[in-house]
Amino acid sequence: MDSELLQLGGSLVAVLLLVGLTWLLGFRQQARLESPEEAAELIRLAPGGFEPVAVALDAKGRAAIARDRQGRLLVLVPHGNHFVARPLPEDCRPANQDGTLHISCEGRPLTLALGPAAGDWTTADSAVN
Amino acid sequence: MPFDPVAYAIPVFVALIVGELLWVRARGQPQRYEWQDTGISLAFGIGSTVAGAITGGLTVAMLVWIHQQGPLSIGWAWWAWPLCFVLDDLAYYWFHRMAHRVRWFWASHVNHHSSQHYNLSTALRQTWTGFIAVSFVFRWPLAALGFEPGMIAVCAGFNLIYQFWIHTEAIDRMPRWFEAVMNTPSHHRVHHAVNARYLDRNYAGVFIVWDKLFGTFTPEDHEDRIHYGIVRQLGSFNLLYAVFHEWIGIARDVWQAPWRHKFSYIWREPGWSHDGSRETSDMIRERWSRRETGDS
Repeated sequence: MDSELLQLGGSLVAVLLLVGLTWLLGFRQQARLESPEEAAELIRLAPGGFEPVAVALDAKGRAAIARDRQGRLLVLVPHGNHFVARPLPEDCRPANQDGTLHISCEGRPLTLALGPAAGDWTTADSAVN
Repeated sequence: MPFDPVAYAIPVFVALIVGELLWVRARGQPQRYEWQDTGISLAFGIGSTVAGAITGGLTVAMLVWIHQQGPLSIGWAWWAWPLCFVLDDLAYYWFHRMAHRVRWFWASHVNHHSSQHYNLSTALRQTWTGFIAVSFVFRWPLAALGFEPGMIAVCAGFNLIYQFWIHTEAIDRMPRWFEAVMNTPSHHRVHHAVNARYLDRNYAGVFIVWDKLFGTFTPEDHEDRIHYGIVRQLGSFNLLYAVFHEWIGIARDVWQAPWRHKFSYIWREPGWSHDGSRETSDMIRERWSRRETGDS
């Protein structure tokens, strides 16, 4: 029993040291999308299938929004240094405020700096084509 | 408890993770690790060790009981070791295949796949709920065949140790003869991929020949960039959610489903739904295949 507790204690210390080392070595960068093509590749992996016909990237590449032919919207949200695809509910329409898109339909609120293109994403099908 | 080779391998695991961290940093690949993800994976590893310590005695006791009921007793003959190792790996293949094709088993095994990274820390992302999922039954045939329970447990330990080093992107391909027979980083990257073509492929533990034999082998194609994780990515670094999310999903689905469909949410494949509102891996692959061939 004592040896098992010692082993558990040693393992806990090793875990803390490894996590600390991972942090110290700089593996704590934010996720960043380099291009709409990269975003589209990730979007196509979304559960249920999603074929984007329009994709817009946040100015710093921290998120993306996409629309398919049916007018459905999907966002790529950062998770660590990767992205997670989240379809938006049908009744969810982003709000445009001075070129920044605000989405707060489910989960954590998301903002995308899109500039003048932000207005294209506040209606059902304006960004198709 | 019998000799546990995994306990002796842990310091080597730690050293190799440090080595991989330094390697990927030196090569300027900061996306290969993420400190929170590593923390979650290692917490899974510790938790599974604790869960194993709690339930291991019962698991071995059941093996002993089955061994005693069987007509054969192979004993500790030297030739029994390699035979036991190979047959244990065959048992692992079928466990692993079922773990991806039956949602009850998947609820436990999904823990190993829920990282979007593929590195040596992912190898330690082991389930806490394997006992609840009754995954241990897949090794019962070995005890019934007459193999000593202690021998089975040691072989299972070495099987797990072997699988550690294949969880890396640092190694591209091994020599051709090795790739033909053994499970390798290349083969196992395919297994962890969420790309449609790779879903539910390469279940092998040590010997990739089982996949070739049973028709589940797919080689890695460098043209198709691999994305790791699960079809519906977790998107959370909450450890308890990561451990139990699929069990919660099963409970919710069974509760909400019509009576005649309730059991199907337990024993059918992940992604199955009675109203067709979700996709199984076969459906995803079919959709991808239609898209590739331009057939909509």
